[in-house]
Amino acid sequence: MNGTAGKLTKPALESPSVGAARRFRANWLAIVLLGPAVLLVLVLFIYPFIYGFQLSFDTESGGRFANYRNFFGDARERATIWNTFRLALPATLINLAVAIPLTYRMRRKVRGQRFITGLFVIPMTLGTVLIAQGMLSFFGPSGWFNKTLELLQITDDPMRLVHNRTGVIISLTIAEFPVVFLILLGFVSGIDPNLERAAQMLGAGGWQRFKRIMLPLMIPGIATAFALSFVATFAVFPSAVMVGQPAGETRVIALAAWQAAYERFDFGAASAIAIVMASIEVLVLVIVLGGRARFYRGPSSGGKG
Amino acid sequence: MSAQTRMNVVQLDTTAPPGSILPEPRIERLRIRGLTKRFADHAALQDFDLDMRGGEFISLLGPSGCGKTTALNCIAGLLAPDVGDIELDGESIMRTPSERRRFGMVFQNYALFPHLTIGRNVAFGLEMQRVPKAQISERVDAILSLVKLVEHRDKYPAQLSGGQQQRVAIARAVVTEPRLMLMDEPLSNLDAKLRMEMRTEIRRLHQALGLTTIYVTHDQEEALSLSDRVVLMEHGRIRQVGTPREVYLQPTSAYAANFLGARNLLPVSVSAIVDDGIVVVMESGIELTGTPQGLLAPGDDAIAAIRPEHIELLAHGEPGRNTLQGVVQTVEFLGQGTEISIHGALPQDLIARSESEWSQGDRIDVRLPADRLFVFAAEDVSV
Repeated sequence: MNGTAGKLTKPALESPSVGAARRFRANWLAIVLLGPAVLLVLVLFIYPFIYGFQLSFDTESGGRFANYRNFFGDARERATIWNTFRLALPATLINLAVAIPLTYRMRRKVRGQRFITGLFVIPMTLGTVLIAQGMLSFFGPSGWFNKTLELLQITDDPMRLVHNRTGVIISLTIAEFPVVFLILLGFVSGIDPNLERAAQMLGAGGWQRFKRIMLPLMIPGIATAFALSFVATFAVFPSAVMVGQPAGETRVIALAAWQAAYERFDFGAASAIAIVMASIEVLVLVIVLGGRARFYRGPSSGGKG
Repeated sequence: MSAQTRMNVVQLDTTAPPGSILPEPRIERLRIRGLTKRFADHAALQDFDLDMRGGEFISLLGPSGCGKTTALNCIAGLLAPDVGDIELDGESIMRTPSERRRFGMVFQNYALFPHLTIGRNVAFGLEMQRVPKAQISERVDAILSLVKLVEHRDKYPAQLSGGQQQRVAIARAVVTEPRLMLMDEPLSNLDAKLRMEMRTEIRRLHQALGLTTIYVTHDQEEALSLSDRVVLMEHGRIRQVGTPREVYLQPTSAYAANFLGARNLLPVSVSAIVDDGIVVVMESGIELTGTPQGLLAPGDDAIAAIRPEHIELLAHGEPGRNTLQGVVQTVEFLGQGTEISIHGALPQDLIARSESEWSQGDRIDVRLPADRLFVFAAEDVSV
């Protein structure tokens, strides 16, 4: 939109008044064109946020901060923060641990690159509910996974991979992997391959090349992928209910908010929980992206292209 | 050599007057035999042979796609040749990975590590060799002062100009005292003036540090001015090897002549061999006398080649052998004289150099001196 306006405000060889008229029309046009987007953000984000924020201070008794005090005062409610961390953090870290070496391997053209990329990206199209549904039958006590293990006589008792924390972590890992993978792949393939060759000619073996050259240049990508994956998994809800243990170890913060709103019909309390959740996400983003700023962030090629 | 004497070498050269004792090259000889590399169905490099002695500066010269970079990458170990052997002082290095060949390489785009300071970039190779810290710092400073960049030690590559980045890239490669120095079109990203300066700089470093250098370029002037020997390549094959003087003055093929500046190529057929040369005839019936290069017999198809600067221009010449009449068609001022194209003398236009002024439409007599008109066996030339 800026581009359009910019072009229109550069009249060539026109009298000042015509130019001014043009400029006004151009700005007017820019505003009109921006309108829908601004409206959308206002209606769908800013207004609900402000509404929820003020709602969180809406209490029947106990003063303005009663909802927050209730949340942090109740051990069961408070525990949802930690419960959520214990799902979001492992899922995000597992994804990074898998995606970093994988994308590093794929930094140069490999056979079947498009097929592999396609395969890794498919989970993105599924959505958490479908993944959870699939996991229930695949990892369940009489699902394929445990049947195979039994058949191979690896275990006698079925492995418990659903209806607990493990189940939710698996589901979140599958759901968020495509995002992490694609972000890192973009970063890695943007690194000038000559940098690695230069390091190699200077005597660096494979591990040194990765540690000293490629990894530092991947840090911005890793931080971005971490941030996106963490925020998405911290808001976990469907899989925590479907493949988790929503009454116990996977009672996540989003579930606490939902229960406050639709089981106790206390929208004030629910809003307070939502604000707590958002604050934690923002805090993590600030820490991660702030940390990223301390690393090198320039172009990932060494000289003129 | 101990590390201490190495340091002395570097320091000595910054202060020593020209003509002082030069350091010994670190290798005796490099022997390359039958290097071949195919990509899919296309042979990028075929039967590449080269013998090099320590301290020599050799250029691989040719147009893009001639296999010169492929050859360099094979020597570097960054590319595995299908066949062939590379021996360094009698030992095959084919099984040695790049990181243990102890070669230095300068890339066309410099490939400086963008996240490391200039000092850390230069120190990288020494760190990989586990040189003690104090010594690294000393050697980095010495080499940076040699390329006149000491004050930029703590800057990042992006903060330097192209020419400075190039000097860092060279410093980074030479500080490790490579056995062989490989350079892949290192000057092609620089502007004309800087290119000339860096050319002198590269030759100076080569001599001051006792390097053995293989230099890849498509620029004939660069190759001729820098090298002890030039390897001219085409379609993955070596066409001619010789000193700059040899390849320039005695090209062995029309391709070589053309690539090294004989821009006028005339398709002819041999009609007779005479005492002072060879008589060739053009399709249009014009007869010319030239100097044969290689074996030719009457009836052979051939190519006659002549440099623009060797064509003699006369306003009012007398008709004679190899003298033709034409009209000036275009005039390009080059600073050092002009370059003109002449229409009508031969079926194709001729390009000539002149010190005097000409303008479009001038009638002109051209003489192609028989001793300057080289005749080669016919081949496909597409330069």
